[in-house]
Amino acid sequence: MLRTLKKYKAPYLFILPFFILFFVFQLIPTIWTVYISLTDWKGIGSPEFCGFGNYQKMAVDDMFWESLGNTVVYWISGLILIICCALLIACLLNSRYLRKDSARAFFKTATFLPNICAAIAMGLIFRMLFDENVGLVNEVVSLAGGPKVPWLTSTTFSKIPVIILNVWRYTPWFTMILLSGLLNISKDYYEAATVDGANAAQQFWFITLPSLKNILFFCSVTLTVDMWKLFNESYILPGPGTSNSSLFQYMYESGFNVFNMGYASAIGVVLILILMVISVIQFAVRRRQGEL
Amino acid sequence: MNRNKMISSVAVYGLLIFITLICLFPIVWMCLISIKSTSESITGFHSIVVEHPTLANFRRLFEMIPVWQNTFNSVFTTIMGTITSLFFCALAGFAFAKYRFPGRTFLFYFVIATMLVPPEVGSVPLFIIMRKVGLINSLWSLVVPRIATAVGIFYMNQYIADVPDELVEAARIDGCSDFGIFMKVILPVIKPAMASWGAITLIARWNDFFWPLLYLRKQAKYTLMVTISLLPVSEGLSTPWPVILAGTTLVIIPIIVLYLILEKFQKAGIMEGAVKG
Repeated sequence: MLRTLKKYKAPYLFILPFFILFFVFQLIPTIWTVYISLTDWKGIGSPEFCGFGNYQKMAVDDMFWESLGNTVVYWISGLILIICCALLIACLLNSRYLRKDSARAFFKTATFLPNICAAIAMGLIFRMLFDENVGLVNEVVSLAGGPKVPWLTSTTFSKIPVIILNVWRYTPWFTMILLSGLLNISKDYYEAATVDGANAAQQFWFITLPSLKNILFFCSVTLTVDMWKLFNESYILPGPGTSNSSLFQYMYESGFNVFNMGYASAIGVVLILILMVISVIQFAVRRRQGEL
Repeated sequence: MNRNKMISSVAVYGLLIFITLICLFPIVWMCLISIKSTSESITGFHSIVVEHPTLANFRRLFEMIPVWQNTFNSVFTTIMGTITSLFFCALAGFAFAKYRFPGRTFLFYFVIATMLVPPEVGSVPLFIIMRKVGLINSLWSLVVPRIATAVGIFYMNQYIADVPDELVEAARIDGCSDFGIFMKVILPVIKPAMASWGAITLIARWNDFFWPLLYLRKQAKYTLMVTISLLPVSEGLSTPWPVILAGTTLVIIPIIVLYLILEKFQKAGIMEGAVKG
């Protein structure tokens, strides 16, 4: 044991920083969260043990269930819309009809820019774009003959701007990842398919999609984590009450606005459990398909 | 056949131009409004026309919030965060890619698995830990926890794995120490990867919002992003839109310019002349 440690001192030392940081800033906080969630603690004084009190409170808390529902909406809509848009844009950028390399480079850069823009700043811009009275979006809607839509002031519509902002900002990142996958598919497959008379749709369905399976899986896993920890977008584009709150945002507000640390930690534990269950399901499905 | 090709070409270009417009419109629109005088109409389509461009909104912004102080905070955390993260991620990526130490595979999958549960869920105890070590209201609270990130290690590992083993072996025979190999052989070779990952980290740190919101609790310590988020409420409900959008312009445009510059570096040749023959 000691001899191995001595022999491989260098690599162990090189990876040590990560594990120290993981221990102090991720593992301990996670375990500690579980402990605090079992106490009644307002941030001052010492925590009082209260068993599953916080969880019982959560079960009948409408705001908790609304935030959970919102997060599921953001997650599913994000997963479908972002991956579809990213796939479309990546295919367009990789298209053989895009002949000039300079044009390709331009479109690549231009379509990546949304990902660079801060969610907070874009949220403020979207707040103005979607303003009920002065917003540009409503102007376009009324030009098309529709009524003024109360985007951010009604519970029916308030999630739409958040979803649009999500799609706008996250799509470029996944476009880039999918594009790198597309570039790795051998051109020979397509040539052979063309000779065999397969049309573009068939080529996409039988060559492109199967080749991208691993990358699409990677995208859906990372996007899932991103969407469950969504905070900035719904924080900066609030609807009435908690109609737009994500679960993670509700946790932050319970802990640091209302100073109900015990309750916030209980929400944290629920988030951890949900993320673990989703990961296990994702990897189990993948394993059944025989890909892992 | 030829006509079909024409139609396809037009469709591809048309769609791409349409998508580009959607991508660029909010950014351009923001810039236009930020230079409008407050007396001009910003309702609907009127918002697109700028009659009297002015910098008054930016002046107003500088009077309202300590822009220089907050910019310094943002720049400091961004640069320190990026440099430390690049160095330690590359170091760990190098260890995973070029050494066959016991437990390597397990530890590597362990690193990957830590990505599945984000550290944000433990923010209550994290706040307590930061208070205990005296890092609340300190800019270091944004740097220290993330000097080695799982995704960074993963990225660097992928890239360093492609560096030929002969390079490492040759340096070792020449009597180079392990750390020396990293500094003198690996780092120079992985410059393109450092540029790409550096750009990604730089953008993420600049746009960081949740952690500064959590750890920095007074205006002199805010990063630019936190200050900007408070603009709509910092003068009651009356902050005019052009001033708010001047603020967002201030955080978005510099990072776009920086990105366009960094993009040039990323195209630098990979593995240029590293192995002869």
